[in-house]
Amino acid sequence: MSGTSRAWTLRVALVGVPLMFIALAALQRRLDSQALSEAMQNEDLVLRSPSLVKKLSLGYDALLADIYWTRAVQYYGQRIGDAHTKFDSLGPLLDIATTLDPKLIVAYRFGAIFLSEPRAVGAGRADLAVNLVQKGIEANPDQWILNYDLGFLYYWRLKDYPKAAQVYAEGGKKPHAPLVMTLMAARVAQKGNDLETSRMIFLQLYESSRDKNVRKMAMRELRALKAQEDEMHLDEIIQDYTRRFGHYPVSTKEMVQAGMLPFEPVDSIGFPYVIGPDGKSHLNPDSPVEPDAEKPLQIPQINP
Amino acid sequence: MSAMPGIVAINTFREAVRDRVLYNLIFFALLMIGAAVFVGQISIGIERLVIVNLGVSAISLIGLVMAIFIGVGLVYKEIEKRTLYSLLAKPIRRWQFLVGKYAGLLLTLLVNTALMTVGLAGALYYVGRPFVRADVSILIAIYFILLELALVTALALFFSCFSSPMLSTLFTLGIYITGTFANDIRSFGDFTKNRAIQAMTRVIYYMLPNFHNFNAIAMAGHGEAVPFALVLQNTLYTGLYAALLLVAASAIFSHRNLK
Repeated sequence: MSGTSRAWTLRVALVGVPLMFIALAALQRRLDSQALSEAMQNEDLVLRSPSLVKKLSLGYDALLADIYWTRAVQYYGQRIGDAHTKFDSLGPLLDIATTLDPKLIVAYRFGAIFLSEPRAVGAGRADLAVNLVQKGIEANPDQWILNYDLGFLYYWRLKDYPKAAQVYAEGGKKPHAPLVMTLMAARVAQKGNDLETSRMIFLQLYESSRDKNVRKMAMRELRALKAQEDEMHLDEIIQDYTRRFGHYPVSTKEMVQAGMLPFEPVDSIGFPYVIGPDGKSHLNPDSPVEPDAEKPLQIPQINP
Repeated sequence: MSAMPGIVAINTFREAVRDRVLYNLIFFALLMIGAAVFVGQISIGIERLVIVNLGVSAISLIGLVMAIFIGVGLVYKEIEKRTLYSLLAKPIRRWQFLVGKYAGLLLTLLVNTALMTVGLAGALYYVGRPFVRADVSILIAIYFILLELALVTALALFFSCFSSPMLSTLFTLGIYITGTFANDIRSFGDFTKNRAIQAMTRVIYYMLPNFHNFNAIAMAGHGEAVPFALVLQNTLYTGLYAALLLVAASAIFSHRNLK
């Protein structure tokens, strides 16, 4: 090959190769736009069986789990905010990721949020989220944090307070579980009007704890529970009174005088209950007892 | 014992270095840097896990490719280049040559794996994580990979004693894949309830190298303790199986007509 010919070939290569790369990139962009729109419409997962994917991973299941989890995050991220998306592949993606690596706690935790959030923000499938976290608890029985998440799902999304209280209580017994689990169990039971369970948990906490602050808090909650119970009972008697006399009683004293109460009822500190204009009993405004289950739970500072 | 296998091993290692085999470390380094920088941006809560899983899996995959593709050419190349004839004219037995070649490739894999482990430690340090006692499980997972590579190398060397590199690659890869499914083969036999099939699958199960034993990547990722008994048993298993393959390879190679 002559020198001129070699130089000519070099010039063609120097110009031609970058040009061809630019042409290829442009072509690929067109292909990508088609493929992306198809993928958005079709949302298909080639392999939907978690066990099959695990078999095919040839021992690299941990790495593949990370890839599937990242895919789930990307899948969710691309569709969030789209009211028409059903997030159909989100459940299977999370199922595969957690089958490949059953200890991938982050996938259970965030996956449950993605699944349970209402439509447009999430899949609106609290049932699938519950299944996912239950699968996580089975695979990781020592992880109290998954009980915390499951309790939250029952409490917040499904409004199943007894179940939430049970899940929190189970989590509270696990190694390194913080006190908040037990407190949540009691508080959620209280919220679901299961006062007996709530009282049992707070009483057990009061008796078993040596910490001054925890005991103080448990006592406060026990007093509040007693007040809640008294009020429920009083409200029933007020209803009878109203039926009988055609108006609400003004005070509990009036009910004693009518022979509907043997004595004037007082809270655990000794303050008599009051009756509001709505015909419902309430704690005396001067009473230091804090009864409201709606108020945020005050977690005591535990001394080491 | 003769020093011949040692001399062959050192030369095999030098040859591998001359052949730029260790260039794969550049790829590994880029992979680790990429993972350390980008994973946090495309996923949630698994930065450290990905670094460990990706790093250890890459060590395993790169090692496997090296063990198979270099392993199948260990003997073939010497015959093809006719360097084997001058070598065997010296006071060296054929089995010593094989053991030397095997040890040389193992040394190459050991150096390569050690350097990749340093790279993995660097990536973990970059993602801002102090090293803790549980990280020992990462080192054990990498040790298991080395054991796995020792077995694969022995397999590749065994096949290369009587077949071409292409066929040896297929055989080694086939045995490796089947070996990862060893537990499923046994379960399949148990599932059929047929005594003959059960017996057959059990024989296959015990004859195949069980690569499932060496998978501790997930344990390393989660910092779980690997039982010491497993380390001991896997070491013994690899030693026995590799010895078996080397003895068989030596027997075949000793009787091979090299004319």
